[in-house]
Amino acid sequence: MAALIPNVLQMKSEFIQATLETLYMTAFSAIIAGVLGLGLGVLLVVTHPHGILADQPSYQILDKLTNLLRSVPFIILLAVISPLTSYLVGTTVGTTASLVPLVFGIFPFYARQVQNALLDVDQGIVEAAQSMGSSPLAIIFRVYLKEGLPDLIRVSIVTVISLIGLTTMAGAIGAGGLGDIAISIGYARFENDVTLVAMVIILVLVFVVQIFGDWLVKRVSHD
Amino acid sequence: MSEHIIELADISVTFNDGQQKVNAVQDVNLQIDTGDIYGIIGYSGAGKSTLVRVINLLQLPTTGRVTVNGQQLQTLAPAALRQARKQVGMIFQHFNLMQSRTVLGNVIYPLLGQKISKRDRQAKALALLKLVGLADYADTYPNKLSGGQKQRVAIARALVTDPQVLISDEATSALDPKTTAAILALLQRLNRELGVTIVLITHEMQVIKSICHHVAVMENGRIVERGPVAQVFTAPKAPITLDFVETSTNVRAAIQRITRTIKLSELAANQELIAFKFIGQATKKGVISQLSQEFKVDVNILFANIDQIDGQNVGDMIAIITGDITGFNAAVARMADQGVHTRLIDEQVVKGLSD
Repeated sequence: MAALIPNVLQMKSEFIQATLETLYMTAFSAIIAGVLGLGLGVLLVVTHPHGILADQPSYQILDKLTNLLRSVPFIILLAVISPLTSYLVGTTVGTTASLVPLVFGIFPFYARQVQNALLDVDQGIVEAAQSMGSSPLAIIFRVYLKEGLPDLIRVSIVTVISLIGLTTMAGAIGAGGLGDIAISIGYARFENDVTLVAMVIILVLVFVVQIFGDWLVKRVSHD
Repeated sequence: MSEHIIELADISVTFNDGQQKVNAVQDVNLQIDTGDIYGIIGYSGAGKSTLVRVINLLQLPTTGRVTVNGQQLQTLAPAALRQARKQVGMIFQHFNLMQSRTVLGNVIYPLLGQKISKRDRQAKALALLKLVGLADYADTYPNKLSGGQKQRVAIARALVTDPQVLISDEATSALDPKTTAAILALLQRLNRELGVTIVLITHEMQVIKSICHHVAVMENGRIVERGPVAQVFTAPKAPITLDFVETSTNVRAAIQRITRTIKLSELAANQELIAFKFIGQATKKGVISQLSQEFKVDVNILFANIDQIDGQNVGDMIAIITGDITGFNAAVARMADQGVHTRLIDEQVVKGLSD
């Protein structure tokens, strides 16, 4: 063991700390981006010209906004968004400060995923609900979100996995995490075992998320 | 309550798809009596789906007034319109059941958000499942059901709010003939037992013939013919109605088959190929044998069929007549008021069929 990963053994506590930072960044930004992305995704579906609250101008604005936010490379977003971060968190560096760019980096992506998942809900079912006198709000909650749940879980898993990827870049603004260890220690000091172990821990996180997601999808699917 | 539960006045629906204007429904006036089973038949694209969606305002008409149960729907506020929609149940070709809910959950759905206790909701939904014969499947998910069972669940769901009208949008088109017959029988029973007015659209004559009392025939967004089913289908006036009748009675296919083997040009001067239609009492008389004895003509029957439309017998026959065809034709022509109609099959008729 000592021969294989000499450097890692000497910095166990750093690894634990970094793993916790990654989990912290992923969990909190996932929750905030989840709410924002779900909301934007639903709005994109219902305001679409064929949607239940069709509104061309709103749809155009939301659609363009989503595209715009999605086209900013994350590493640049980290820097560009710092005034907003400073306003919201009071600082532009550190783990908590990284939540702002992480949320903005992932929620437009999630919104698109949500939009696609909800567009797969059978339009006939939506029409049936309208014919039964359901209000738009009832259709969103009792039809779209309920019928689309398996797909929503699937796209949430894809998003969380992407998000884990993004957190590794947050090291650039001093947020720490496993990505930071892999680059600023493993890569910078030529301690390859550190990089490798950081990567393995990330892979394990990804697998756990994926397996949990698949299990959840299976539980809620009835088709 | 007014006599007409549904009144559509001067309804037009125009879709403006960028540059192209599509007149899906044009100047339709339609009154449907309370308790009727009203069929709307037409080929796909005739505008019938659009027209029935106007009844519950799922499709907003470009012009015209929609009155259901005395309420003019376009004047209602959104919340009142949603309430009015609960008076009009709807079933669909592809059932449109929610996969994420059980059979019972699907039937309960329209009652959610209403001021009814959970227990009453369940009891009401179960009662309807019992009515359609699916009480044992309450906790099953729709994906485990057959097409016919799914449609029964959809019917229970459409009726759980005690609507006065049930709209059926091609509800049997995805089902096999046996299941179709069972679903139609169920609709007929619900019409009798609950008094619910049924408006059904279809492209199948068989559906209209088996349960409808009145029918409207649609083509290119317009109603081209309407009336009691027996009247419209025994004496069709519009070409498209004749088309439906001949397709459903197989007369059209028979004429095509016969004229492929027997060339009209090869018929002798004292021969003719003729199509008969016998309506009502005429189907019970020996009309042909009487005439053949009287005029000493030979009758070579190539096709014959008898059908029932809304309880009335309708017979079709195609035959080659040999002998005194002039006298025979004149005699037959005099029998029109007794329900005997004939049509000479000449080159023009054959050409019309192949178009």
